[in-house]
Amino acid sequence: MRAYIASRLVQTALVVFLSLTAVFGMVRLGGDPVLLFMPMDIQAKDVNEFRQRLGFNDPLPVQYGRFVAGAVRGDFGESLRYRRDALGLVLERLPATLLLAGTSFLLTLVVAIPLGVVSAVRRNSLLDHLGTVVTVLGQATPGFWLGLMLIYAFSVKLRWLPTGGTGTFLHLVMPSIVLAAFFSARIARLTRSAVLDVLGEEYILTARAKGLGEGRVVGKHTLRNAAIPIVTLAGLEAGQILGGAVITETIFAWPGLGRLTVQALLNRDFPVVLAAVFLISVMYTLINLSVDLVYGWLDPRVRLRT
Amino acid sequence: MRHLKAWLGIGLTVAALVAAALAPWLAPHDPFRADFVQSLKPPGTPGHPLGTDQLGRDLLARVLHGARLALFIGVCTVLITALVGGTLGLLAGFVERWPAAVLMRIADVQLSFPFILLALTINAIVGLGLRNIILSLSAAGWVVYARVVRGEVLSVKQRDYVQAAAALGNGRARLLFRHVLPNVAPSIIVVASLQFSSFIVAEAAISFLGFGIQPPTPAWGSMLSESRDFLYVAWWLAAFPGAALALTALGVNLLGDWLRDTLDPKLRV
Amino acid sequence: MRRTNVLLATVLALSLVDAPPAVTQDRVKTKEIVVGLGAEPRTMLGVTIVDWTTNNMLEHIYDRLLDRDAKTLKPKPMLATAWKLVNETTWEFTLRQGVKFHNGEPFNAQSVKATFDYMLDPATKSHYATAAYWKPLKEVQIVNDYTVRLVTEKPYPSLIDHASLTDLLLLPAKALKELGPQKLNERPIGTGPFKFVEWKRDERLVLERNPDYWQGPADVSRVTFRFVPEFSARLAALLSGEIDVMKDVPPHVVEAVDRSGRAKVRATVSSRINYLALLNLKPGPMQDVRVRRAMNHAVDVDELVAQVLKGRATKMCGPLAPTNVDYAPVDCYKHDPARAVALFKEAGVDPTKLALTLDTPSGRYPLDKDVSLAIAAQLQRLGIKTNVVVNEWGTHLDKIKNRNTGDMFFLGWGPALHGQGTIEPLFKAEATYSSYGNNKVLDEKIAKAVTIVDAKVRAAAYAELQKLVHDEAPWVFLWQQHDLYGVASHIEWTPRADEKVWMYDAKIVAR
Repeated sequence: MRAYIASRLVQTALVVFLSLTAVFGMVRLGGDPVLLFMPMDIQAKDVNEFRQRLGFNDPLPVQYGRFVAGAVRGDFGESLRYRRDALGLVLERLPATLLLAGTSFLLTLVVAIPLGVVSAVRRNSLLDHLGTVVTVLGQATPGFWLGLMLIYAFSVKLRWLPTGGTGTFLHLVMPSIVLAAFFSARIARLTRSAVLDVLGEEYILTARAKGLGEGRVVGKHTLRNAAIPIVTLAGLEAGQILGGAVITETIFAWPGLGRLTVQALLNRDFPVVLAAVFLISVMYTLINLSVDLVYGWLDPRVRLRT
Repeated sequence: MRHLKAWLGIGLTVAALVAAALAPWLAPHDPFRADFVQSLKPPGTPGHPLGTDQLGRDLLARVLHGARLALFIGVCTVLITALVGGTLGLLAGFVERWPAAVLMRIADVQLSFPFILLALTINAIVGLGLRNIILSLSAAGWVVYARVVRGEVLSVKQRDYVQAAAALGNGRARLLFRHVLPNVAPSIIVVASLQFSSFIVAEAAISFLGFGIQPPTPAWGSMLSESRDFLYVAWWLAAFPGAALALTALGVNLLGDWLRDTLDPKLRV
Repeated sequence: MRRTNVLLATVLALSLVDAPPAVTQDRVKTKEIVVGLGAEPRTMLGVTIVDWTTNNMLEHIYDRLLDRDAKTLKPKPMLATAWKLVNETTWEFTLRQGVKFHNGEPFNAQSVKATFDYMLDPATKSHYATAAYWKPLKEVQIVNDYTVRLVTEKPYPSLIDHASLTDLLLLPAKALKELGPQKLNERPIGTGPFKFVEWKRDERLVLERNPDYWQGPADVSRVTFRFVPEFSARLAALLSGEIDVMKDVPPHVVEAVDRSGRAKVRATVSSRINYLALLNLKPGPMQDVRVRRAMNHAVDVDELVAQVLKGRATKMCGPLAPTNVDYAPVDCYKHDPARAVALFKEAGVDPTKLALTLDTPSGRYPLDKDVSLAIAAQLQRLGIKTNVVVNEWGTHLDKIKNRNTGDMFFLGWGPALHGQGTIEPLFKAEATYSSYGNNKVLDEKIAKAVTIVDAKVRAAAYAELQKLVHDEAPWVFLWQQHDLYGVASHIEWTPRADEKVWMYDAKIVAR
């Protein structure tokens, strides 16, 4: 077990390194980073001077080497736009993002899994049909649109909730609902499907034949066995929630990581993009590692091998 | 009731297909023709049953033509991702050993970018436009299949009847096609029908962040994204493309459900 | 499902119990104003980064040597009470006495010198230390405590224009030396009407009134800049009373805002101009002046203004607008399809076979993308096929700089307050964002005009330049933007043509 985790951690480091390399290559293909943070009446000579000073005139391998040398020491350079330590800027945004993502993830689990289970057990009931329609609509509603509608209804018309920003519990309500809506739909659907799968298995039929109560059949036998695909998706979604947060954070002026990253991407603020990718990929791979560990716990037959 | 859902799914999907196929004949106007004098007319205006947009283009024509694009994006991306992701997931789950590990690490690298951010990064480099959107969505979307399918395969492989089949000396290929594939097919279909709508929605999200499909091409996502500038004055610009998107997604999902139920060997009882 | 209901009910109940106070009322009482902006500042230090949003906030903290009149936009005294030309390359400024920085340090000639020293230090990496700004400066001479001289390498008549823009926010000499730029960046110190309170990243910047301000304390006790990136959310915040002032209300929404009862739209003609560049810097039909003139006759600017922008723009005929100090009137190209077709024919171009590409940003200027699509629709009437390419902003700039756009591109320029700032960077082949150039006559005349110090001679030179540019038709001349601000009903504030959201001028009126 310990060896397994150790080898996975080594792989994690590798994954993070590869991600950063991929992103480094990709962003450097994307055009001149200097122009965007300079005034528009700047002269070509001055632009070049800035580029020289910032090292963007060096050959790409040299820049990459410099980047790697810095990155291993946790130094991602200075934000081109804000002239502050890039990793610091990113870390500063982390708590807000974790708060939002955590709340939404919890909300997702609390809403989606019961909904999926009930839909499967009471298959073809009115509830199941309603559940299908609601989840599909949740899936088919772009987050920004839902967010703007909520703002219109609850902030502009009813004036119950603030349009954005942070501060109180109320500030958290709309962003976490919007972020959770999309993912709830996916998880509820997959839960339903997975539970249906298991309900068709022989051991469930046996359990029923033995006269076990429905509650125990569903609760004990079914859920445990349906959990693998659900956990897989939940693990993936936990990561994706960080990505979905890009839109939610933008709409609700939430001072988080997603908003910073997408702004950095638009502004070609590469040090910040790379620092953000570093942080996100570390979190991702750790989440995925935990997912794989949970597999083993859920289903001992799945041997943990690298 | 079950058939009702199936029929509804088929009905909505067919409606979207018909709209897409016959858009030029069904639409009352050219979706690109601007008529400034007629801008922002509400639904019910003579000649413009769903109203017009800020440039006076007919909304009905744009929504109908949008169906073409939506289905095209959905079908292309789902086919590409399901094929690539599903195959890799099957292999990774089935082969295990180091190829599986390598594959899953590649998937991890891929996953370490949130979907939207990856699509954005790709579009920031290769530029805007339909082909690039399909490219970036596909590049970002295959991993879900790979992970889900692999998870299923790992679990299915351990089941008694599969183990028994293996013990009986069945070849790997036979195992794959006879036992594993039928078992993971339902998952693939559910994921595909989920992905289909989420890809259309993702196009909207990407448009929202400024990397959309080229106007004047009428894409539902981009139309929805543009509509936010007119939220307080022209609700129809948000309502109709949104409804079209939601109904199509509903249709495809119900269809996916039905297919899944019919395909799933265990549910045929 | 039941749990969903419970949860929803809880959320609703909580929100009812905890309903936020009527914040607008409170703000009226305490005289606070909240301004909604799209982005946060990039620095708290003056003379470091050129960026509209940043400097708009910084100007509340720092003062400049010269100000601009809110109406005429002509330079007027601020921390300098008078200025004069000693010789062609030397300007002398008399400084205001008795002004103190927020830390109590007096403002004097040392402050001016220290500000320039900091700005021109290569370690500062200041955008202002470049040729378009203060690089022409050779030295700062201190004559006495309240007199400084700025000496330039060559005659630099735009110096006064720069001194009255945000290009010279004055820093405290002693604090700069003792605390260093790093510390000052965390807690900026200026002489301005507001003092720094706090900056919560990506959320808000809070300033409070400076009671000892030399022009008298502001009416507003506290200004909070809130950063809301999404435009429609900003509008919602205005309509729900969370913010009091926002910039760039879209023309279509004006009525809705006015009807809301919470805010009114205040409009002003902006010094920012929009134009459609006709690229002569790469091969194509736009290299022929007759084609460029034909384009000016083919595009119906009046229709675009009336129908697409709902009248919220002022048509321009040449490269400079009346808000520009160097403006001189020129004749307009009239909308005349027949004349356009004739000119195309003369140039040997068949408009029905002409296929053009137009690059446009989206969401950068009022309805930019829609204007571009509308222009394409207008050209279609002559049979010209136009492919509109929408670019993400960074890509748009890259393409313009590398001359990689199609035959035309849409761009805005501003605040365009002096002639050099528009003509030099936009009509010379080697300039970064130029679309037109390689015109020897024009190049020579520009080079001469930017060094003329005498007001009359300068006016004549710029008038000639504008006539020349007009005849060369490097653009389809479009318009000056109208800046539309949403302003809460309880606030009295008149917008300015130079895009400054200057809250020193704002007054709170109880309703």
